[in-house]
Amino acid sequence: MAGLSVENVTKRFGETEVLKGVSLVIADGEFVSLVGPSGCGKSTLLRIIAGLEEQSSGDIQIGGQSVAGQRAADRNLSMVFQSYALYPHLSVGENISVPLKMRRMNGLQQLPLVGGFMPGARNVASDIGSVVNQAAGMLEIGHLLDRKPGQLSGGQRQRVALGRALVRDPAAFLLDEPLSNLDAKLRVQTRAEIAQLHRRLDATFIYVTHDQVEAMTMSDRIAVMMGGRILQCAAPEIAYEDPDRIEVAEFIGSPKINILPLEISSEGRLSFHDQPLDLAIAGGSRGVASLGLRPETLWLSGGEAPIRGRVAHSENLGSEMFVQVDVPGLEERVTLRAMPELRASLTLGTPVALDFDTDKALVFDADGARMRKVRRLSAAASEVA
Amino acid sequence: MTVIEPSIAGTAAGSSRRRATRERRDAWILTVPALSLMVAILLAPVIIAGLLSFTNYSLGNGGFDWVGTRNYEELFTRSTYEKMFVATLTYVVTVVPISVGLGLGVALLINSLGRFREIYKTIYFLPVMATLLAMAIAWEFMLHPSIGMINRMLEMGCGTFLENVWPFMAHGCAERFPVWLGDKRYAIWVVCFIGIWQGFGFNMVLYLAGLTSVHRELYHAAEMDGAKSAWERFRLVTWPALGPTTVFVVTITCIRAFQVFDTIEAFWPQGGGPNKSTYVMMFAIFEKGVQQNLIGIGSAITMLFLLFVVVLTLIQRWLVEQKVHY
Repeated sequence: MAGLSVENVTKRFGETEVLKGVSLVIADGEFVSLVGPSGCGKSTLLRIIAGLEEQSSGDIQIGGQSVAGQRAADRNLSMVFQSYALYPHLSVGENISVPLKMRRMNGLQQLPLVGGFMPGARNVASDIGSVVNQAAGMLEIGHLLDRKPGQLSGGQRQRVALGRALVRDPAAFLLDEPLSNLDAKLRVQTRAEIAQLHRRLDATFIYVTHDQVEAMTMSDRIAVMMGGRILQCAAPEIAYEDPDRIEVAEFIGSPKINILPLEISSEGRLSFHDQPLDLAIAGGSRGVASLGLRPETLWLSGGEAPIRGRVAHSENLGSEMFVQVDVPGLEERVTLRAMPELRASLTLGTPVALDFDTDKALVFDADGARMRKVRRLSAAASEVA
Repeated sequence: MTVIEPSIAGTAAGSSRRRATRERRDAWILTVPALSLMVAILLAPVIIAGLLSFTNYSLGNGGFDWVGTRNYEELFTRSTYEKMFVATLTYVVTVVPISVGLGLGVALLINSLGRFREIYKTIYFLPVMATLLAMAIAWEFMLHPSIGMINRMLEMGCGTFLENVWPFMAHGCAERFPVWLGDKRYAIWVVCFIGIWQGFGFNMVLYLAGLTSVHRELYHAAEMDGAKSAWERFRLVTWPALGPTTVFVVTITCIRAFQVFDTIEAFWPQGGGPNKSTYVMMFAIFEKGVQQNLIGIGSAITMLFLLFVVVLTLIQRWLVEQKVHY
């Protein structure tokens, strides 16, 4: 087990620059998710770390040692592929034992039929057998060892792929969207199991996914990637509550964060649709900005409120309810989280006024960078961290 | 009621039985055209050949006599037929492994190429497209003992170091180079060589098709699992994935090898090469059954030929179902 660092890695495919200088330091035993939309370069970064792809520039270090020029087989990393990539002709047990056979047996001992008669082969084979059984036991696939991958369900194959990855003691585990081929229910279950496995093994995990829920629920830190860059790498709650950029705020969180246009007056006072808000920017100058409001920071206000509109759609999930409000002058609807008890008063077309928690308001400048020097006007000056 | 019930039940059972009978009859009527065609075109000739193999029938004769298993006894006792088996098996055992191996090797090499793939594919496939009869004539010229290209080229090696390291060269330079098509030591090997030259391109194309179905991610998985050499990756991923292709290629090549005929007919139309060293089964069938009008013995060889092909096909089916189907 070891930490891992990525230093200023770039990758070009011909003219297209897929990675534009990515740096990331992952501590020993940490679970880091690379999350981002399709084509953001997350899988490419993982493959570069694995050694399956070569970076155009930059360096990768595993356990403090540069692995530049070292091929994948020598990097001591394990990988779980999206398609699982199990060897179809080998049984589950044989699949799991492949990484051990490749590393512990010499060419003669690996030969079919005669390999078993080579000197030392039996001892190695029985050692490998016991390690395979242990891994299979951990993943509860002991009863499947004699089956071929073709006879297994998606979830079982996924476990076998995990088994093959964890059977030797790698420096880190790389997982490339391992849950994307599973159905929704199994995905939730396997998510918890992978997180549990990480706690049990206490190993370094790098997990690539486009599903922010997976990233949020499993990781110690998530690295949000977009357009070949890491926009923010932070603990899930920080990425959610305190995003550095508007893209991060928009990507993390479901339902999506509400983004409202703001004007900044010459004194730094913020207003929405000509209605002054209880917020000001220290040292701000005249211009435009964006206000990010999570659905749970909005509430229904009885009296005066800055955001007014009509209920356009509502989704009752049982434990909570998301109400979409059509606000005149806004292209996108504003989503609000409400208690299901209120559904009678929130029928379609009902006019509503929405107020929000100014402490939790996220203000972004015209370029999408977070403006942190926001203070409330009514209360004593307080910075929203 | 108790009186009526059984009679109703009886009528119902009777009508359903009648319907079943009618359905069965209709089914037979509908399949008769296909069945009769199959019997007339596929099964009848085989059965007739099988029957004729127990007779001394000749085309044009009014009648024939049953000779029992005499034709088969001849096949297994006469030295001509012993030569036939030796020539056929030599050809099959040489051509099949080499042309399958070459086909696989060339397919792997072409598959690893970035550019010029299509050019190489075309070049290797050319002999497959060419008519073997025409090619055999070209080869006949090349193999001519005095004016042929092969021996001329070998003569160019005389006086060089080759003479010292290669006894064949030393012998050839001192006396003469082989009469390729007239020497019983070389004739069958020349035929084998031409068979391989002509056939491996076809296997290459089949293997190239098989290679496209190998999952790319498996190679990455193999690399992560520690398969460093090309050989390890081949053994772990490529070869198993090509299992079904290999079974098919081997079977097809075997059957084609048993069927070799046109090279021999072009080189030695008078019969079977020097000392019958290239007297293969297909040529024997042609010679006995067509040239000499000995339908009985010709049919017996045909039945034997059919037996070989059926056994090969059964082995292929068994392998496909048991071993290479994942």
